[in-house]
Amino acid sequence: MTAGAPTTVGAAGQGVAEAPQPQPVLRVSDLSAFYQTHYFGIVREVRAVDDISLHVLPNEIYGLAGESSCGKTTLIKTIAGAIQPPLNVVGGSVKFDFRGQSINVYESTPEERNAMRWQHLSYIMQGSMSVLNPVRRVRHSFVDFAFRHIGRSMPDFLDTVVGHLERLHLRADVLDAYPHELSGGMRQRVTIALATVCRPEFIIADEPTTALDVVVQKGVLAMIRGIQREIGSSLLFVTHDLSVHANLADRLGIMYAGHIVEEGPTAELFASPRHPYTVHLIGSLPRVGDAAPKKGLEGVPPNLADPPPGCRFHPRCPLAMGICSRETPVMEWAGPGRRVACFAAEKGITA
Amino acid sequence: MQSINVYIVKRLGQFFLVVFIGINIVFFVTHATPIDPVEHSIMAAAMFGSTSPEAINMLREALADLYGLKGSLWDQYWTFWKRIAVADFGPSVSSFPTPVSTLIGRAIPWTVGLLLTAVIISWVVGNILGGLAGYYRENRLLKAAGVVAMGLHPIPYYIIAFVLLIIFGYLWPVLPLGGGYQRNMTPGWNLPFIGSVITHGFLPALSLVLVGFGAWFMGMRALVSNIVTEDYVVYAELAGVDRNRILGSYVMRNALVPQITGLGMSLGAIFNGAIITEQVFGYPGVGTLLVSAVHAGDYSLVIGITTISIIGVAGAVLVIDLLYPLLDPRVKIG
Amino acid sequence: MLSILKDLLRYNREFAAGAALLGIVVAMSAMSALAPMPPDDVYVVPPDLPPSWTYLMGTTSRGQDVFWQLSFAIRNTLLFGFIVALLSRILSLVIGLLSGYLGGFVDRVLMSINDTFIVMPLFPILVMFYFVMRDRMSWAALALVMAGLGWAYDARLIRSIAMSLRTRQFTEHSVYSGMSTRQIVAQEHLPYVMPIVFSTTMNNINWSIGLEVTLSVLGFTNINTPTIGVMIYWANQHTAMTAGVWWWVFFPVALVIMVFIGLFLLAVSMNEYIDPRSRLSRMRSAKT
Repeated sequence: MTAGAPTTVGAAGQGVAEAPQPQPVLRVSDLSAFYQTHYFGIVREVRAVDDISLHVLPNEIYGLAGESSCGKTTLIKTIAGAIQPPLNVVGGSVKFDFRGQSINVYESTPEERNAMRWQHLSYIMQGSMSVLNPVRRVRHSFVDFAFRHIGRSMPDFLDTVVGHLERLHLRADVLDAYPHELSGGMRQRVTIALATVCRPEFIIADEPTTALDVVVQKGVLAMIRGIQREIGSSLLFVTHDLSVHANLADRLGIMYAGHIVEEGPTAELFASPRHPYTVHLIGSLPRVGDAAPKKGLEGVPPNLADPPPGCRFHPRCPLAMGICSRETPVMEWAGPGRRVACFAAEKGITA
Repeated sequence: MQSINVYIVKRLGQFFLVVFIGINIVFFVTHATPIDPVEHSIMAAAMFGSTSPEAINMLREALADLYGLKGSLWDQYWTFWKRIAVADFGPSVSSFPTPVSTLIGRAIPWTVGLLLTAVIISWVVGNILGGLAGYYRENRLLKAAGVVAMGLHPIPYYIIAFVLLIIFGYLWPVLPLGGGYQRNMTPGWNLPFIGSVITHGFLPALSLVLVGFGAWFMGMRALVSNIVTEDYVVYAELAGVDRNRILGSYVMRNALVPQITGLGMSLGAIFNGAIITEQVFGYPGVGTLLVSAVHAGDYSLVIGITTISIIGVAGAVLVIDLLYPLLDPRVKIG
Repeated sequence: MLSILKDLLRYNREFAAGAALLGIVVAMSAMSALAPMPPDDVYVVPPDLPPSWTYLMGTTSRGQDVFWQLSFAIRNTLLFGFIVALLSRILSLVIGLLSGYLGGFVDRVLMSINDTFIVMPLFPILVMFYFVMRDRMSWAALALVMAGLGWAYDARLIRSIAMSLRTRQFTEHSVYSGMSTRQIVAQEHLPYVMPIVFSTTMNNINWSIGLEVTLSVLGFTNINTPTIGVMIYWANQHTAMTAGVWWWVFFPVALVIMVFIGLFLLAVSMNEYIDPRSRLSRMRSAKT
């Protein structure tokens, strides 16, 4: 499974068209989105998503990793078209190509976006505790979210929902429960069921398991993967937890301070990281039998309202050179299916 | 099911606590202060004619008995509670020998009718418009409504009623002032009488509605502008759920929960407003009765009205508290 | 603190409008120091004159100059509201902080009593109080009673803030570093509670002035101390509106409405300044 996917992607990355290339479902080009605030006469601009390009293929799980407040959640919110001022898109585009229907998120009307939502594109939000309406039964959420897309009579629709719940090992009676009556794991499974009941082609998941304990987390991850394989959709998956990515993602993008700094097939990225930040992230993972003390990273993530010039990682980078503080590195091809934004990596130096 | 019982018991306990503390305040203010209502009434009686010293002594005895002022403070306290338990406040001095409870009973329907109408109208209209204003923040009409609400909300009931009285009494006299219905009519279920009740009640109700509208509007708008940032609303918007459905079933539905609590908490203040407003417009309810009782020096009537008001408001709050679990399913766990 | 005030004045329209309204009112009350006659004297000017250059706001049927009378009345009314608010702040702070901080049994008992005072219909009780006190009823006694009855709502608010403070990190730090409860509440929590106290003070002044006006108009206070309510009381006694002496009613009512709206605007803008969520919505409306 994991062996097959990266090679196809690798071929696509090099642009050497041998086998018929699958069209990407999602194509993000040069996307920038800033928080722009005016309050008490002070203007602030936080560059949370800065010039990001990526694509996701059909039936692929793309993982986004990075420490907290690096812009992961902002990026996927922007991709989902779920942004509100003070967050504004200042450049670039987000295009989805669903079977027979394509949509440019920031050039479409709200009606077009609403028609796409849940049928083609669904979302599993961070914090399953609070995404369900607390004063209404779970049943109403399914009706509100999915009924208009599935388009059957109400009893038929509820049968479909019950059948779908069974796949996630949930009994039919959760429909008659209020959210507060369910356990955390059950609530998370309900939101996954809610996000997948229309069998969408693209699912965005934001830290879907972070709030759960490790045992429940494992089961939920397996279910997400099972459902994704079964309906054949693509998954854009965000978590700061690299071990989750190692288990789940086909391809991984590493974010630092609003930029994607490295991207590649998960197994290869773990085996030979190029960017010093990726090296640090992977190096900080615990391994059994490894007694050597972990090296910490000096300094703190930059303030995105006033990022350092040049490469944003250079103040903390062990390989920083003169050019790093003057020029911003761009994402360059670095082997099959791999991209990296680093002057040192370009020269073949790795940490 | 267990926990819902606990909730009911707690609310009942709070009801009895309000009644208990309230009636104690009434007792200690009237019995443990230096005034002597008996001497007060005798002075009033003596002003109306020649009374022999024996008659005065008999009157003194009778009044002390009537007011429950015999024996030690503890005896008086006990008598006080026994009388309240059977709603016996004795006869009114100003409309002798009509019992106080009859006078209050006659006034209560007017006050309750006025209050119910005004509270329902202001709560419903204020919440709907406030909710819309919180959700559609850029709508000009709703913004204008917000400015009106903000201007009305801080003004006390008396001033609003007084300004309406001046406008409709002197500047543009189109509505009747004073009374609950036209004087020469006999009360009954006929159209002219009901029409008269409505036109007479219009201004008192309007002044209560205006103040209440401001408060509910501001409260609801603030609640809604917080609720729209809650995850479940953001999530429903992400899912492309119909905007009207989001506004109704997600935003407003959740905002109603604290607004019901707020209604319970402000009933006391609204009641204050109602009795003040009644007095301004000479409406024949409890408020007008209270003010005239004070002016007439009617000791038992003042005590009766204050006691009944406390019990009535506490009872209304209890009813709202007991309806609350119907709106918020989460009560059952706590 | 000063820079916050400057920011508020410049960028918050509600605050600026409220400050302007209150400025006028305070200036009016300061005029009482310049009054050429004591407030109690009657028939010192010709009665029932409409506003003119000699008598800016006209004269009353009791032969008083409305302008000078009003300056005394507004001074007393403001002072009354301020004293009630000050006294009831002490009660609501002590009860709210104790209840929120100690929690458990103390919290349950205090909050039951608190809720009792929230729903209690205070007006009949105040009227009854006047009824037993009669001529002994003074301005100060009324202030004391109202302070004793008007603390409950704000105590609940302060309690909820204290409760959220209790669970924050710095409280735990202070507990571990051996500070006493009194020290923690006074040094760590009060700075967080103070802005709320300021905004509730504005609302409380409004509440007490409203009740004082109402009681005075009905004649249920000491009618010889001039306040806004007492002025309207005397105007009603002389049926000023029917007699066409409208200025006797209009100026006090207009001035007291300015007080209500001014204080309320200050409270609203202060709340907005404190609450980051409404700040966020402000930023939103600035963008869209």
